[in-house]
Amino acid sequence: MLTYEPDDTFAHRLDPRTKLAVQIGFAATALAHPTPRALLVLSALTGVVMAGAGVSLRRTLAAYRFALLVLALAPVLSGATLGAPWFDRAAATASGLASYRVLLVLLVSAAYVRSTPVRDSRAAIQRTIPGKPGQLLGIGVALVFRFLPVLRGDLRTIREAMAARLGTERGAVDRVSTIGMLGLSRAFDRADRLSLALQARCFAWNPTLPPLAFSRADYPVLAVAVVLACSAFI
Amino acid sequence: MATNQNSVERVDDAVVRSFARAAVLAALMGAAAVVGSIPIPFSPVPVSLGVLVVYLMGLYLGPVWGPASVGLYLTAGAVGLPVFANGASGIGVLVGDSAGYLWAYPIAALVIGTLIHGRGKLENPAETSIPVLAVALLTALTIIYALGTVWLGYVLKVSMIEAVNLAVVPFIPGDLLKIVATIVIVKGGRIDPT
Repeated sequence: MLTYEPDDTFAHRLDPRTKLAVQIGFAATALAHPTPRALLVLSALTGVVMAGAGVSLRRTLAAYRFALLVLALAPVLSGATLGAPWFDRAAATASGLASYRVLLVLLVSAAYVRSTPVRDSRAAIQRTIPGKPGQLLGIGVALVFRFLPVLRGDLRTIREAMAARLGTERGAVDRVSTIGMLGLSRAFDRADRLSLALQARCFAWNPTLPPLAFSRADYPVLAVAVVLACSAFI
Repeated sequence: MATNQNSVERVDDAVVRSFARAAVLAALMGAAAVVGSIPIPFSPVPVSLGVLVVYLMGLYLGPVWGPASVGLYLTAGAVGLPVFANGASGIGVLVGDSAGYLWAYPIAALVIGTLIHGRGKLENPAETSIPVLAVALLTALTIIYALGTVWLGYVLKVSMIEAVNLAVVPFIPGDLLKIVATIVIVKGGRIDPT
């Protein structure tokens, strides 16, 4: 599974806002130019980004395997025709190039995921989006991070308990609604305890955040992000 | 070391309560995308429970906090939490092949919330009649399919019919099953959000 890994690569030392900008610029230009030449340049850039963040290609492809299935099927479906000539190569090529750019965008975002702790992302969100929406979004992301393993545990417990009572022999609607209902009621219990805890700890609109600062390495990377974003309009 | 001295601006109690629910349900959605998935008869695709939680967000959090909760889920996934289908994450997923579905989720939660609760106070969805629930959920599902298909067609350069074959048809049995399950959950009346 794709996740943050502590390391000392070039990407790990960059400010999260720079890395977000690079991804947005990259995605914009990749979506705008599904041509072989542009994709060649973007492939090289993807290679540089992945090397800069120490991302393993094999593990990343494994993490995105379900998306890859759709990306691989799209050109085949697009090329297949009912009747002669049975396979339309032009349509398949266009779709193949389009699928490939999506793969590149996914690989670049994997570099961000590997090199940025959630705490930094939270600070970036809160500093970029002004006012109370930014605050709630930042804190919310931190809470989702905190509660994800807990609720995963809850769902797993519910499923194991059902399996132990031969729940797996029941109909699909019954199973889905039981998991949904128990999952939701546990989530609501946790949420009510959480809100009590937040109130008890003076949950405020203005807490103290970790400091973020652009270093010298950030500026050239930021410039790359701007160039990428602008190239979408060429 | 520098010290900051600001007065604390407390968050309103009602906001804290709704916000905590939105955050925890966003986490539940992330958990369901990975842990849930139940094989169903006559379909090669197992049912994942992610969309079910979108329905529940609209029903139990309403038209404001439901979409906000989906927004938290999408943001958490974008910055690297493995909450998207099968544990994927990253901004790439939000512009990738399945991005249309993901962007449709907040709209779906908004539509369900508005149809069930209106603009006023949050009500107990168990008091809503089954036809109204079914219409709200089917409308939401239609929006999700429509945006999902249009985006998939655009980003992978396939025709609409091919996009439907690739990204709608295999999922229809599971999605209808989730709508029935959602109605069962709501009518069970075990949870009262008011």
